[in-house]
Amino acid sequence: MIKYTLKRVGMAVLTLLIITFLLFVLVRIVPGNPFPSERMSAEQIANKRAEMGLDDPIMTQFFRYLGNALHGDFGKGTSLYYGAPISTVLSTAISNSFRIGGLAVLWGSLVGLVLGITAALHRGKFLDGFCTVVSILGVCVPSYVFLIFLQYTFAFKIPFFPYFFDSSRFLFSSVIPSLSLSLFTTSTIARFTRNEMVEVFDSDYVRLAEAKGMYGRGLVMKHVLRNALIPIVTVLAPLIVDLLTGALVVEKIYGINGIGKLMVDAIAGEGIDYNYVLALGILYSALYIGIMLLVDLLYGVLDPRIRVSSGKKEA
Amino acid sequence: MKKFVALLLTAALILSVVSFASAEGNVLGVMLGTNVMSLDTNLATDGDSFEVIADCIDGLMQMDKDGAAVPAIAESYDLSEDGLTYTFHLRDAKWNNGAAVTANDFVFAWRRIAKEAGEYAYMLDEIGNIKGAAEIISGKTDDLTTLAVSAPDEKTLVVELTVPVSFFPSLMYFATFYPINEEFYNSLADGMYGTSPETFLSNGAFILESYTPGTANLTLKKNPDYWDADRVKLDGITYQVVGSSDNALTAFRNKTLDVVMISGNQVDAAKKDASLAENLKVTGAGYLWYLSFSQTEKNAQGGMLANANLRLAISNAIDRDNLVDNYVMDGSLATYTAVPPQFAASSTTGEDFSADQGAFADYVGYNPEKAAEYFEAAKAELGKDSFSFTMIYGNNEGDEVQKVAQAIKEDVEAALPGVEINLQSMTKTERVDKMQNDNYDIALTRWGPDYADPMTYLGMWITNNSNNYGFWSNAEYDQLIADCTTGAYITDYDARWAAMFKAEEIVMKEAVIAPLYTKANANLITAGVEGIDFHPVALNRVYKDTTK
Repeated sequence: MIKYTLKRVGMAVLTLLIITFLLFVLVRIVPGNPFPSERMSAEQIANKRAEMGLDDPIMTQFFRYLGNALHGDFGKGTSLYYGAPISTVLSTAISNSFRIGGLAVLWGSLVGLVLGITAALHRGKFLDGFCTVVSILGVCVPSYVFLIFLQYTFAFKIPFFPYFFDSSRFLFSSVIPSLSLSLFTTSTIARFTRNEMVEVFDSDYVRLAEAKGMYGRGLVMKHVLRNALIPIVTVLAPLIVDLLTGALVVEKIYGINGIGKLMVDAIAGEGIDYNYVLALGILYSALYIGIMLLVDLLYGVLDPRIRVSSGKKEA
Repeated sequence: MKKFVALLLTAALILSVVSFASAEGNVLGVMLGTNVMSLDTNLATDGDSFEVIADCIDGLMQMDKDGAAVPAIAESYDLSEDGLTYTFHLRDAKWNNGAAVTANDFVFAWRRIAKEAGEYAYMLDEIGNIKGAAEIISGKTDDLTTLAVSAPDEKTLVVELTVPVSFFPSLMYFATFYPINEEFYNSLADGMYGTSPETFLSNGAFILESYTPGTANLTLKKNPDYWDADRVKLDGITYQVVGSSDNALTAFRNKTLDVVMISGNQVDAAKKDASLAENLKVTGAGYLWYLSFSQTEKNAQGGMLANANLRLAISNAIDRDNLVDNYVMDGSLATYTAVPPQFAASSTTGEDFSADQGAFADYVGYNPEKAAEYFEAAKAELGKDSFSFTMIYGNNEGDEVQKVAQAIKEDVEAALPGVEINLQSMTKTERVDKMQNDNYDIALTRWGPDYADPMTYLGMWITNNSNNYGFWSNAEYDQLIADCTTGAYITDYDARWAAMFKAEEIVMKEAVIAPLYTKANANLITAGVEGIDFHPVALNRVYKDTTK
C-alpha cells in the first residue's frame, strides 16, 4: 500500500510540474504585451520588463517562478488588481468559491442520492419516472440559466434573497448560486445511483441475502448502496473539482468574488493578465490532480482488489 | 413529511426577518461597470477606481459641480510671479486613524508615483512639468529627493515646475496626486496598501467599510472626522459591480441599486416606460471616439492613407448622426472637432473650447458630394482607382462598437466606390498593441481626457509622440504646441487658447483623425436622489453633496 501511494503521489507531482512548465511557456509565447499602456514611454516599459525579469532566458524565469511559487508567491497582476500580491487575491477567491462550491457538492450529492435511491426502490413506478425527468432537466439546463431563473424569481419577483452576492451575509446569499451549481451534480448522482443500485439489486449476492431473510433498510444500506458507491465516487470526483473551482458564468453574473470570476476577469478584461492566468491554471491543475489522486487512493480502501492488481493495471 | 414541511416553513420565517435590500435608508446603491482595480492612488488607472478613491481621499484641490478646481486639503495656494512655484497651505485635516494630514503625505506619495513610474506617472512630468520628475520616471536617477516637491513645515507644500502650467491646480483633483500617509504605508507588507479597510486610510468624505481586491460588492460609510463632514448627507455608499446592463436594469427596478448605467439599446425602452423615463439622465463620459489612419508606407497598400485627400474623403463619407442615433443610442454627441466638447472651458471667457461644432465644416461632416470630390483628387494624386483597407476595432469596448464599425464601412463604401473596408475585431489590448507597433491601416479608437485642457488631446499629434498613432508630422503644428506648452504662449492665457484652436484646425484640415462621437453615459437614478456631480474628466461621479 505504501509503495502504491508513493508511486501515485510521485506521478501527481511530476504531472503538475510538467503542466506548470507548459503553462509558463505558453503564457510567454502568446502574442500580446504584459504592460498594455497608452501613457507609458518605451523607456518606462523597458524598465518595467527588466524589473520583472522578463528579459532573462526563459528557463531562468521558470525556475525563479517555481522557487517563488513554492513559497506561495505568484507575483503581482499586470492588468488586474495591480500592486496586490496574487496570493492574497487568490486566497479570498478560493475561500469564496470553495464555500459556495462545498455547499453545492453537499446539496447536490444529498439530493442526488435521495432521488437515486428513491427511483431505484420504486423502479418502473411514478417516482422513478419523476426522478428521471428531474435528472434529465438537470443535465440539460446549464447552471447559469437556472441561476438567472432563481435570481429573477426569488430575488426580483419575490424579493426574498439578495439580488447580488453580499459577502457580509455569506450563507444567505449563497443559497441561489449554490442551488444553481448543484443542479448538475444532483442529476448526475441521481442517475448513477439509480442505475448502479438497480444493477446491484439484480446481482446474485443480493438475491442470496434476500434468500437468507434480509430485507428493507439493512439490505439497501449494507449490501446495495455500499457496492453501488464505487462508481459514484468516480463521477463525483471531477464534479467536485468543477464545483469548487466555481462555475465561471455563475460567479460572474451573481457577482461572487471567486476563482471562476477571477479567471473570466483575467482573460476577458481589457487585456489578458498573464500572471493571473498562469496562477489560476496551476491552481486548477493542482486541484484536478489532487482530487484524482485522492480518488485513486480511496479506491484502494473501498475495494482492495484494485490495490492488488495495481501493479499490472492502472486503476 | 409533515415534519419536513414544518421545518421548511420555520426556516423561511427565520430568513425573512433578515433585511434584504442593500440600498436602503440613507445609503446610496451605485453600479460600477468594472471591478475596482486598485485603491492605491499611485497605481490606479481606471475611472471606477478613481471614483472610489476620491470618495475616501481628498487631494489638495477638489472639483466643484462645474468641474472647476476649488480648495480641499489645501486651504489656499500662492503662485510665484514667474509662474513656476506653487506654495500650498494645508488646512487641519485628519486621516481616519487619527494622524494629521501633512505636507509630507504629498511629498511621499508624489515621490512614489515617480518611483513606480506607472501609467499615470506622465501626469507628473509631461503634464504637470514638476522639476526632477522626468529624470526619476525614465530611470536616469533613483534619488527621489531630486523631485522638486518639499514640505518646509507640516502645513506647507512647495512644488517647483520647469515651465508655467496654467491648469496645474486642476491637476490636483486627479486621484494620482492624492496623499498617502508614509508611516502607515511603511507599516504594511509589500503590496498590501489599499487591499482592505484595515490597510487603507481615508481623509475624505467616506471610510472604506468592506473591500477585497476582486470583490463585486464594496461598501463605504460616512467619515465623521472629515474636515467638511457637515456637507456630506449620505450615511454611506454601496457599490455593486454589474457585468450586464440587463442585470443593471433589473437591480434598479427592484431598488437594489439607485444609480445604474444602461446600454444604448435600453435607452429607447426606458424612454417609453413611464416608470423609468423620469429617472433617465444622460451625462458626458468624455471619451472621443475617432478613426486613426496609419500614414506610414508599411501600411495601407504602401502608405495610401498618407494622402490627405483620401483621409478627408473618408471623414466626409461618415454619417455621424446615424451612428449616435441608431447604433450608440445613449445620448452620445456626433462630433466634428479633434478636441471633444464639454470638458475644457476657457477660464477667462468660460466658453467651451469646442462649443462650435461647425467650426471645421469645410473639412469634416457628412457630405457625400464633398467626399466624392476629395476622392477624385486623391485618385488623381495617387494614380489609383481602388483601395482596400483593414479597419481594426475592439470587441470588448462596448456592445455598440462593432455596429459602429459596420456602419462606417457601409457609409464609406457607398460614398467612395472603389474603396473596400475590411473589418477586423480583436481585444482592446491587441488593438492598442497593433497601433503602437504601426501595424494597422485604420483603427476605431478612443481617448478620454485626463485633465481639463484641450492639450490632453492636442498633445497627442506632435511628431514622435507615442499616441501619434498615424505617425503624422507637421512642423507648423509642432511649433504651435511647443509655444503653448513650453514657449511663447504659456503665460498668455488667451493667446494660448487661440494658438490651440489654430493647431486643431491643422489637424482637421489634414484629417489626421476623423472624429466620430463624444461618448455619453445613460444613467438611471432613483427619484429623490439629488446632487450627484457628474464630470467627463478625472472623476466621473462625486457624491459629497448627494442626498437621498
